Amino acid sequence: MKPVKLLAAAALVVLVALGMTAVATAQSDDGEKVVLTVGIPETYDSFNPMVGVEVPDFDVWNMQYATLTDKAADDFATIPGLAESWEASNDGKTYTYTLREGLEWTDGIPLTADDVAYTVNRARDEEWPNYFSTVQNITATAIDDRTVELTSSVSDPKLPIMDVYILPKHIWEKYDAKAIKTYDGVNDVGSGPFVLDETKRGQFWSLKANPGYWDGAPAVDEVIFRVFTNADTMVAALKSGEIDVAHDIPNNSVEDLRNTPGIVVVVGQQGGFDELALNGGDGLKKPHPALLDPDVRLAVAHAIDRQTLVDRVLVGLGTPATTISPSASPAWIPEIPESEQIAFDLDKANQLLDEGGYKDTDGNGIREMPGGGEPLDFTYLVNTESQAAPEVADFMTGWLKEIGIAVTPKSMDENRLYTEIGNGEYDLFQWGWTPYVDPDPMLSYFQCSDIAKEKDGSYNNDANYCDPEYDKLYKQQNVELDPEKRQAMVHEMLTRFYKTGVYNTLWYEGDLQAYRTDAFEGWLRQPAEIGPVIFTNTSPTYANLTPIASTSDGGGGVSTGAIVGIVAAVIAGAALIVYFVRRRRTAGERE
Amino acid sequence: MSSIASSARGIAWQRRRRALARAWSQYRRHLPGMIGLGVLVVIVGMALLAPVISNHDELSPANTVDNPTWATPSEFPPLGTDNLGRSVWAQFVWGARISLLVGLAATIIAIVIGSVVGILAGFYRGIGSALLMRVTEWFLVIPFLPLAIVLAAVLGPSIRNIIIVIGVTSWPSTARIVRAQVQTLKERLYVERSRALGASNRQLMARHIFPNVSPIILANLTLTVPIAILSETTLAFLGLGDPTRASWGKMLEESFKAGALSRDAWWYYLPPGLGIMAVVLAFTLIGTALEEILDPRLREQRR
Amino acid sequence: MSFGFVSRKVLGALATLVFVVCFNFFLFRVVESDPVGNLFRGRNLTEGQRLELQREFGLDGSKLEQFARYLEQTVQLNFGRSYTTSEPVMSLVWERAWPTIALVGVSTVLSAVFGVLIGIVAAWRRRSKADYGWTGFTMATYAMPDFWLGMLLLVTFAVTLGWFPVAGITNAGSDATGIAKLLDQAHHMFLPALTLTLAYLGEYALVMRASLIETMREDYLTLARAKGLRDVVVRNRHAVPNALLPVVTLIAINFGFVLSGAIAVETIYSWPGLGLLTYDALRGPDLPLLQGLFLVFSAAVIFFNLVADLLYAYLDPRVRTE
Repeated sequence: MKPVKLLAAAALVVLVALGMTAVATAQSDDGEKVVLTVGIPETYDSFNPMVGVEVPDFDVWNMQYATLTDKAADDFATIPGLAESWEASNDGKTYTYTLREGLEWTDGIPLTADDVAYTVNRARDEEWPNYFSTVQNITATAIDDRTVELTSSVSDPKLPIMDVYILPKHIWEKYDAKAIKTYDGVNDVGSGPFVLDETKRGQFWSLKANPGYWDGAPAVDEVIFRVFTNADTMVAALKSGEIDVAHDIPNNSVEDLRNTPGIVVVVGQQGGFDELALNGGDGLKKPHPALLDPDVRLAVAHAIDRQTLVDRVLVGLGTPATTISPSASPAWIPEIPESEQIAFDLDKANQLLDEGGYKDTDGNGIREMPGGGEPLDFTYLVNTESQAAPEVADFMTGWLKEIGIAVTPKSMDENRLYTEIGNGEYDLFQWGWTPYVDPDPMLSYFQCSDIAKEKDGSYNNDANYCDPEYDKLYKQQNVELDPEKRQAMVHEMLTRFYKTGVYNTLWYEGDLQAYRTDAFEGWLRQPAEIGPVIFTNTSPTYANLTPIASTSDGGGGVSTGAIVGIVAAVIAGAALIVYFVRRRRTAGERE
Repeated sequence: MSSIASSARGIAWQRRRRALARAWSQYRRHLPGMIGLGVLVVIVGMALLAPVISNHDELSPANTVDNPTWATPSEFPPLGTDNLGRSVWAQFVWGARISLLVGLAATIIAIVIGSVVGILAGFYRGIGSALLMRVTEWFLVIPFLPLAIVLAAVLGPSIRNIIIVIGVTSWPSTARIVRAQVQTLKERLYVERSRALGASNRQLMARHIFPNVSPIILANLTLTVPIAILSETTLAFLGLGDPTRASWGKMLEESFKAGALSRDAWWYYLPPGLGIMAVVLAFTLIGTALEEILDPRLREQRR
Repeated sequence: MSFGFVSRKVLGALATLVFVVCFNFFLFRVVESDPVGNLFRGRNLTEGQRLELQREFGLDGSKLEQFARYLEQTVQLNFGRSYTTSEPVMSLVWERAWPTIALVGVSTVLSAVFGVLIGIVAAWRRRSKADYGWTGFTMATYAMPDFWLGMLLLVTFAVTLGWFPVAGITNAGSDATGIAKLLDQAHHMFLPALTLTLAYLGEYALVMRASLIETMREDYLTLARAKGLRDVVVRNRHAVPNALLPVVTLIAINFGFVLSGAIAVETIYSWPGLGLLTYDALRGPDLPLLQGLFLVFSAAVIFFNLVADLLYAYLDPRVRTE
């Protein structure tokens, strides 16, 4: 038989296989379970609430661990959580909480005041990073199984909220102070609407519903978070129905998705911001000597064109920023008059550097230290897990070049970024934060005491900058009960920090998300109308969703494939018949 | 034949010049080879003229703030813009420089190392030579891409490092070919005659082996350059290229990450791929033409 | 095949493997200064904890002692822990191996089959339009970066036409089992497999073509034609099987190399195999994982080269008398 025919037959066989798979995919369905699939472009770092710092961790904690009080979805108002009621003492420093009846962990062990007291006291004693700023002054006492008393040593504006995740004592007491630091937190004992089921870090993690959840079993049986290394692919998966909702969609895709029927785009404001931070010089390692000069810092700060970055990198989906945003509520950001802002002004930057004596003595376009020393070449850490960071780095390289500063980029993931910043091995980096509702935690991060104390240690002060006056103001607002006075203090400390040019907030941006309207309903934005739907402060959406009709797998793409498959199968069948008929006829010619 | 050269060396050079002229006239008749050469001349010319035919400033997004983003070639000739407003044409033209430079430089490193190793291993016998060949075979076996990735991840992404990485991982195949050729040449009569006349090993290698091996090396060079260019493209796509320079591989990386695929911004990902194809095909055609020509050439010289 | 011949080849392969292992050590351990710090970033380690961990990872002692411990660990297949996930490198590699093996296996078979057929057509109709056409086609696919071809196919068939899924190996979370699951995976595999097949079939076509042309010149074929056998029969019964020899060994060799070369293609399709694992490891860079992957890839190539050597000797008696 001629090889050309063999070629054709082989090609047809392949087509048939394709056809079969397309048809099979159209027919296979998800079974009886109601599954919500979430697409996300980054993976979690740890499900241990005392250790993890990245955004994906928080949603899982919100789902697995209930807190004493909860926050309303629409306005963050304090509502009952594990505690159904609470009472204040006369001096306002002690609150007595009454837990609901019949609370149980998912493994059947009752949830009691003991668990609350254990969590609070241990977090305070061992200075757990994610808890400490909330519990540092609190002592918890379990009065009986359903009553727990929290006493603060100072007047504390954060009582009675206490939104720390209550952990099951019988699981977590097995890990001592040393072991708990390396425990990955993957277990299915929780009190929230869902608990962890399967985790494959870097690929996906899934949570199963908790039928004994105090607020009622969720309508969704399973929630799967799927990691997409390429955000573009994630958008395509959303459009084809492979996933139901996507977080952190690329700015470039927003317009396209807005024009796609059946998909809703959400620009969720919850105070998120990105900053271009300089090495403040008070950490474990000093930066390039030029950066210790406040004028050089200001020169760099003047080389940032925030509006262009918002227009180009964020495709307009953000607002140029001044100070950091310490809270999901914008009221905590001070109004800085334009005349006092650090504007994009390359001439001013060049002037500052000229006056500082940083001349370009060898004519290569790069300035040197006064007296012709080291050239001004800054190490710039680029976050490979961020869509925006490499692009911002491109812009900054261009602007810094125009003021005579060279840039050496170093790419790394967020894990390594955290270490390098803590060790002071950098001059510039870009990263971002999503704050809580109360500004205190975010503000606490920039105290002198929060700078990394040892190599590869934990820290929060990624400005590596120490300002005793800032610390003083922080302690004042920490115990200030009058909201207006407190706000004034916060405004003052933020403005002070902003004007140093060490920590330059680039923009306030919302979380870009999109969801399909044909699979689930009940999407809650937190706060109402302006917030995101998932990865919010308390993630109320998951427990609120209900499925729409029966979920069919795939979507339009598959039915086209099925048609192609059937056609291909028919052609292949016909060709094979022809082949066999001809074969018999030519049999006589064989040797 | 203009001058009467009296020294033996003069005669030898004259012979080589004539051989070259003959080779060139033969090459001219080889159609695919001429096409390849033509394409290469056009692309190299474009790369060399980069400062003239495009604006280097348009490579930095800080300078293209007024350009529209994702402009099609008709909106922003000749090749449109990318997601940050940078000119795709500028990236293409300046990127050609990097792709060609890296390809050529890495190949030269590979060829030099490979030829030296091949000549030494082929000429000498004994433990040293056997060891050299063992090492060559070991390096042949190590898969190129993982080795290049490991080296690039450890050394850091820069033009210099990428050239070193590709050069250091590509020499073994040259070494093997050169060694085989040298071993064949060693048995040639004139080598034995020269040795009888008292020539040293070094003289033998320089005056007899090397000139006769150079055609093979040349052919191998033209076939190694496309491999080196494809390697640079792959490494740049994986994020290991120099982040401060445009190259064709980097264009593909950025178009992939910026979502050019889902919005079908063909002007961003088609040109670099087509450019690479053109250069690789050009070198391959030239290489096959050279091989065809040089084979009978060698046979002729042996007489 | 004599036992002596086989054992010589196997020992040769083992020697190469040992070389690669040693090379690996010097490449990484000499450059990477602080694995413990990198693995336990953000956890405040006391000096005592640090020393203990360094001992556990074999980082204390002189370089020679470290090397000895490294060899010991390698033999036990302990390649350390990933920086990104803190999971043992070996288990990560094991998990992600089979999607790559499946993809590369299918692609190798398909590209070999189609490549050989094209090679036969081209050789038999040498210098005809068909020959030039096919040779041109294979040269063109060889000249393309394989992942660029993947991009084009992805845009056309998955994004624009929607006939195929855009990424991954299955619809995550679906409970399909058995045949349905297999078919779903095949559906996802189609485009990446097509990409790799097209990228590599040129090599098989060229080798087959050259080999067949060489074989056709052999004397015994002239004899067969003289006996009066038909052209087609001569070709299919005599020439082709003998010309297939170099192709068979090429398949074995290629399998090893494509395994390690599919990194960019897996990235384009988000195919969760060893290639995508390598790409993700580069983001860190996750050096222990890269080190482990490098060893695995090298070992695969060494192994398949050995297979190719033995296969060639088995099929061609002339080689064995070396």
